[in-house]
Amino acid sequence: MANILVVEDDEIMLKAVKNILSKDGYNVILAKNGKEAFEKLENADYDLVLSDLMMPYANGLEVISRLKNDPAKRHIGIIIVSSVGNEETITEAFRLGADDYLKKPIMAGELLIRIRKLLTNKAVRQSL
Amino acid sequence: MWKDLIDLLFQAYENFGFLPLFIQVAFALIILALAATIVAYSSILVRRYKAYVHEKRMNFITPKIEDLITEQVLLNEQLSMGVPIDEIQFDKKALSDKIYKKLWVRQALIDTIVQYRKNFRGEVGELLRKLYIDMGLTNDSFEKLKTMKWERKVKALTEFSQMDIQISDVTVLPMTNSPNPILRATARNAYVQLSKNEPFKFFDIATEPLLPWDQLELFKIITTTKDIVIPNFSRWISYSGNKSIVSFCLKLIEHYDQKTAIPAVMDLLNSKDHYFRAEAIACLGKLSAEIAEVRLVKIYEHQPLICQVEILRAIGNIASGKYLEFLKHELMYSTSFDIRMAATRAIINHDSDEAREVIREIMSTTYEENRIIIKHCLNPLIKN
Repeated sequence: MANILVVEDDEIMLKAVKNILSKDGYNVILAKNGKEAFEKLENADYDLVLSDLMMPYANGLEVISRLKNDPAKRHIGIIIVSSVGNEETITEAFRLGADDYLKKPIMAGELLIRIRKLLTNKAVRQSL
Repeated sequence: MWKDLIDLLFQAYENFGFLPLFIQVAFALIILALAATIVAYSSILVRRYKAYVHEKRMNFITPKIEDLITEQVLLNEQLSMGVPIDEIQFDKKALSDKIYKKLWVRQALIDTIVQYRKNFRGEVGELLRKLYIDMGLTNDSFEKLKTMKWERKVKALTEFSQMDIQISDVTVLPMTNSPNPILRATARNAYVQLSKNEPFKFFDIATEPLLPWDQLELFKIITTTKDIVIPNFSRWISYSGNKSIVSFCLKLIEHYDQKTAIPAVMDLLNSKDHYFRAEAIACLGKLSAEIAEVRLVKIYEHQPLICQVEILRAIGNIASGKYLEFLKHELMYSTSFDIRMAATRAIINHDSDEAREVIREIMSTTYEENRIIIKHCLNPLIKN
């Protein structure tokens, strides 16, 4: 069972994503902003981070940057789920190390497929 | 004790007329200030109490609503079994709970469903819409639309737009021309999103202006709404008396590259409004209207600076190569810095051997300032 950290400041979205992922058998941990995400990342090991971009205290780009610059956590996959659609921000997210990007409003099925694909790819890479 | 106090007040009232004027004024001001303070405090207390009640109610109802949506929509078994959305049946018992009859609960339910719809599209989004309809929340939104308060109308229109519920033209069209700018903008946005046949019909009746920010919002909605019927916008260019609508249509003509609109846009070159003319010239450039080049060069001399710069830019965008000599002349002999910059960029935009030759020739013959302008414009790191 993969551990997924969901970072999102919209409580409705946070709970909805938790319900969708839990139903699919994932262990979901929630963080309401980037700062809370940093604390949770310190205390447990995760397989994937699902993060919004626009958040208080520390935004999604800071979350990616911090995660990818930490050798111990670099392996954690990151999917950005955001309503921010401008090319510059998306490019910056990928440049910093995001693995995938989903624009809100999202499709629940698509989210699950992308998560599954990312986790499978990660498992294959680790087994090599 | 009370009797003494009343006697004292009565005495003060009787003697008030004999007091000096400034004392009377000061006394009146004190009474006024006391009354204002009491009213302000009462109003604050009432508002705080209302907010407290609202928060308490929300704390109570939000988990129930979220559970309902989670069970009926997000974790709906029929959805994962691939049952078509229209055929999915919700748990009637859960939906007919007495609590969902209360008006404030229904509003909280609408707000939550709308919030979910903002985050989810696809099957979940469609099922949220079905839940909204099946619970009869459409009627609640319609009731809001009938009130006199514009804030409630705006709320109703936003709900209909988010839930993709069609509303009759008779209901929305009058609101698209409301004197209230917020209601007007919301109604126009909703009309474009919800009217499947003629989403731009309100352009015909719009006498109120389409404000710049509203233009941005509307442009985003028009260009991102699926299955929208795009008309030929030249009909409003020719016949609308509303300048902001014509200006907005020019932007849409550019975006949808409607070359059939070129003659109508060229007619705008006769407009007496400089800014309007400049917009039309820019539009012709973006449409690469080669047919308009002769006319643009012909009217160039008599135009104000803003239009002259736009003409040079348009010639650069059209880039037919027929007016390189004209551009070269403007670059070499114009006294205006803006004109020389625009002419240089227009020559470079041609991106042809001839244009490069012209640039080389000017570089070798012109004076230092023009050479700096050319170098600046040739630098690919500097955006136009």
